[in-house]
Amino acid sequence: MDKTADVIIVGGGIVGCAAAYYLAKRGISRVTVLEAAKSIGNGGSSRNGGGVRQSGRDTRELPYAMYGIRHLWPALSEELGVDVGYVQKGNLRLGKTPAHLNKLKTLTENARSAGLDVRMVDAKEVQAICPYLSEDVIGASWCPTDGHADPLVTTLGFYKRSLELGVRFYTDAPVKTLRKIKGKIREVILKDGTVFEGGTVILAAGYESRFLARTVGVDVPMSRLIDECLVTEAQPPMFDIMLGTAGADFYGHQTVHGSFVFGSDCGYEEVTDMEDPSQLATNSMTLSASCRAIMGYVPALRDAKIVRSWCGWLDNAFDGVPFISRVDEVPGLILACGFTGHGFGTAPAVGLILSQLVAGEEPVVDISALRYDRFTPIR
Amino acid sequence: MKTERYDMIVIGAGPAGLSAAIEAARQGVRPIVFDENARPGGQLFKQIHKFFGSKEHRAKVRGLKIGEELLAEAEEYGVEVVLDAAVIGLYPEKEITVKIDDTVRHYKGDTILVATGAAENMVHFKGWTLPGVIGAGAAQTMMNLHHIQPGKRIFMLGSGNVGLVVGFQLLQAGCEVVGLADAAPRVGGYGVHAAKIARCGVPFYLSHTVIEAVGTEYVTGVTIGQVGPDMRVIPGTEKYFDADTICLAVGLSPMSQLLKQAGCAMEDTKGGPVPLCAAAGKTSIPGIYAAGDVSGIEEASSAMIKGRMSGAAIAAYLGYTDEKVQEERIFELGQQLGTLRQGMFSPENRGKLITKTDEGIGVSMHLLEHGSVADDEIARYPGVTRQAGIHPVIECTQNIPCNPCQDACPKGCIRIGERITSLPAVDAAKECVGCGMCVASCSGQAIFLIQEDVDPGVGEVTIPYEFLPLPRAGDTGTALGRDGRPVCTAKVAKVRSSPAFDHTNLLTLKVPNDMLMKVRFYQTQKGGMGL
Amino acid sequence: MIDIQERLRQIGPLDGAPDDDLLVCRCEEITKGEIRRAIHQGMFTIEELRRYLRCGMGLCQGQTCGRLVRNIVAAELGVSPTEITSATARAPMRPIEMAVLADDGGAAHG
Repeated sequence: MDKTADVIIVGGGIVGCAAAYYLAKRGISRVTVLEAAKSIGNGGSSRNGGGVRQSGRDTRELPYAMYGIRHLWPALSEELGVDVGYVQKGNLRLGKTPAHLNKLKTLTENARSAGLDVRMVDAKEVQAICPYLSEDVIGASWCPTDGHADPLVTTLGFYKRSLELGVRFYTDAPVKTLRKIKGKIREVILKDGTVFEGGTVILAAGYESRFLARTVGVDVPMSRLIDECLVTEAQPPMFDIMLGTAGADFYGHQTVHGSFVFGSDCGYEEVTDMEDPSQLATNSMTLSASCRAIMGYVPALRDAKIVRSWCGWLDNAFDGVPFISRVDEVPGLILACGFTGHGFGTAPAVGLILSQLVAGEEPVVDISALRYDRFTPIR
Repeated sequence: MKTERYDMIVIGAGPAGLSAAIEAARQGVRPIVFDENARPGGQLFKQIHKFFGSKEHRAKVRGLKIGEELLAEAEEYGVEVVLDAAVIGLYPEKEITVKIDDTVRHYKGDTILVATGAAENMVHFKGWTLPGVIGAGAAQTMMNLHHIQPGKRIFMLGSGNVGLVVGFQLLQAGCEVVGLADAAPRVGGYGVHAAKIARCGVPFYLSHTVIEAVGTEYVTGVTIGQVGPDMRVIPGTEKYFDADTICLAVGLSPMSQLLKQAGCAMEDTKGGPVPLCAAAGKTSIPGIYAAGDVSGIEEASSAMIKGRMSGAAIAAYLGYTDEKVQEERIFELGQQLGTLRQGMFSPENRGKLITKTDEGIGVSMHLLEHGSVADDEIARYPGVTRQAGIHPVIECTQNIPCNPCQDACPKGCIRIGERITSLPAVDAAKECVGCGMCVASCSGQAIFLIQEDVDPGVGEVTIPYEFLPLPRAGDTGTALGRDGRPVCTAKVAKVRSSPAFDHTNLLTLKVPNDMLMKVRFYQTQKGGMGL
Repeated sequence: MIDIQERLRQIGPLDGAPDDDLLVCRCEEITKGEIRRAIHQGMFTIEELRRYLRCGMGLCQGQTCGRLVRNIVAAELGVSPTEITSATARAPMRPIEMAVLADDGGAAHG
């Protein structure tokens, strides 16, 4: 077993797999991906709601979110050789109160100034776009170029295609520590003692990236937050847009397959404590709370049967946008974490940018606002 | 949000769950039992056959009766049973969510016993999704709870006890069982169960599997084929049967999802994931216990004992009894369980070919390969003697844990001894009075009474008979051999029914003396088994 | 640690099997051939197969086909079925309507 590589990617989630793919695609195929779990994409990549959206994002994220939707998502199924379920039919961000609408207006204005096609729509237009919504919805923001995709297949599609291009994947390979040699990143040491060596290391391991960055003296300011999702049995086709709310009480969409995938919460998330975070135990209150939230916006789904619920950890950056950045004091180390629960839709663009960082190129869009050392004290 | 709290929450009102609740309630615990079904008892009410074991295991009592007794006992001790109540989640802090009517309710238990039982396995072959391919459990539900025939012509896959018992029940329900196959080279269940259906004429196809369920809209037939040691079908061995139903009895998988969700340490076994349990069903999470099929597939009798052990452990965990009382009780129950796990079908013997009984007698290979003991094999067993007067002939040829026949005989003609797996022996020195109690007591329907020369050259054989309508004295029909083939003509001399026989009727047939050791079943002239 | 490329080499190329068109997951209509192909594309775990193909993700949540899929994976990878980790278990254990789940006595949302 050859344990040296040009690039070692820690984390076999969608970011790691996408980075591996774009590296291999440009000819850097001596790439090794190390996944701690037995399954690829076992973290947030397989646990999110599948949104591929630009609206509602921080303006620092918009450039690459928009780049991905313009240039990468449309041909992704073809590129990966598997249907990633990408549907680009727009995103409604719903409001029920004047306060909601004010919040949406601010987001919309900011996004418009960054060049995104997004606008406010009134209750009547909301109903025209999606007649299944509750009459309590008094307005929304509407971004017609947003959409959704299947996060499970997208992640595994990147994995499959990377394998075909020669990328080496190791599962059940939890990393214990990173090690610099002569001032540069070099070794990635597994919990079982196995040592991998590479010139570049991409840390794309969600919240766990924090523990690993610390082993080379870097702290990434983020926290861990639990989030839950649920899925219904397949329903007849109802709507193909993505839904979100100004109150952040739920989000979701109907998949191509027919089932609805929604994410929501019960309010207990901030204080959730799990002795072993990998246990991913759902909360006894969230499933019911989620259903109430969803029915409050989409009453037509009251008889839809829920077949499954699950949870995952968000890696919440202190300011809500990820760290996609070289680490100056650890040459060769690149961070890609802190996606704060909305990393799926941007993952192809992030993967591409990471491949450019490895190659020493200018990224397709400016990511200087996503540096790892941007934290400053508030007073 | 209201969360109700109980000492002990039991999930599943089957034999294990009810037994646990009763055992704990006897010590003062107030348990609540949830079951998603409309009726309690789990599978017990489908079990119309008599159970094996000894008195302490309620041997020779039919499963449904055991179910009724358990319910009465649960009521007596104030066990609260909530039906139509599906437990949909098992969360940290031993919290469950339960769907009751059109609501979800939250309960917390200081202890939780998961006794959710098992689900039927499926196998896949061409056409397996056609209507008419059903599980044996579903067939049992249709017949024994809803009184509907699952089909007219049935092919059974699986020769374990479930396949054999359900096969017999299908015959009792008036269905035709056109064949029984198993990919294994030998019958998997008790020989006595196999013999019951073989003598009705059901052909056995060991080392055979279903290749295809034939039909376009629904099953119209089945093609089976012989498999080699690699489990692949040997070309040219295909056989076709007209059938409208294919019944699958290919094992059970523990329904252990709740335990897995809760985060209990699990083990992936051949039968599926099961919780890793210490004594009395204690899982890796303190206060969560598992009993019955969910912790490993066994018989209902074992499930009841395992349930009681968990109930005793829970009573102690909650402080209702002290350690010493618990230890003594669990020891006692452990001995009962140990008794049931003895013999040829003990867990450690699963899948093994055993060629000799504990007594050193050769096991009937004809029984293992065709479902019936051959005429030239039967004389070697200690229950088979030849006597001048009326006497029992006990065709019990495997070491299984069962001994009601020993107590059934008022004259002491039958001896099993201390070890309940020993083969019953007939003591020729004791005088048989022909009362028939042994015949009716045998859960395996393996005891017959034989008397030569009742008339010159003509004797009588008395067989257990559980088909309706009952033949009448004076009827003439066909006597069938152990393999279900016609042997001779038989005249019904006597039909005996009695509350003491518990629905096993005794049919006395007149046949020539030399047929007495061959005739083991009776077919009415119309050709049916009663119907 | 599992070296995926090495394992793919070990199990060799995908050959056609006569029963590849056999339906295994009837809820999601996934065939044995699709499952075998996905395994040869690197989906070695039950979770990956569920996510990639949706087998076992339908109404019965793999109650019927879970064991069948496990046996196919084991056969394809040349290991004992007990070495294949079964799917995770998730609430609700039975499909339940949203309106029923919503009515758990909890406070109204928002």
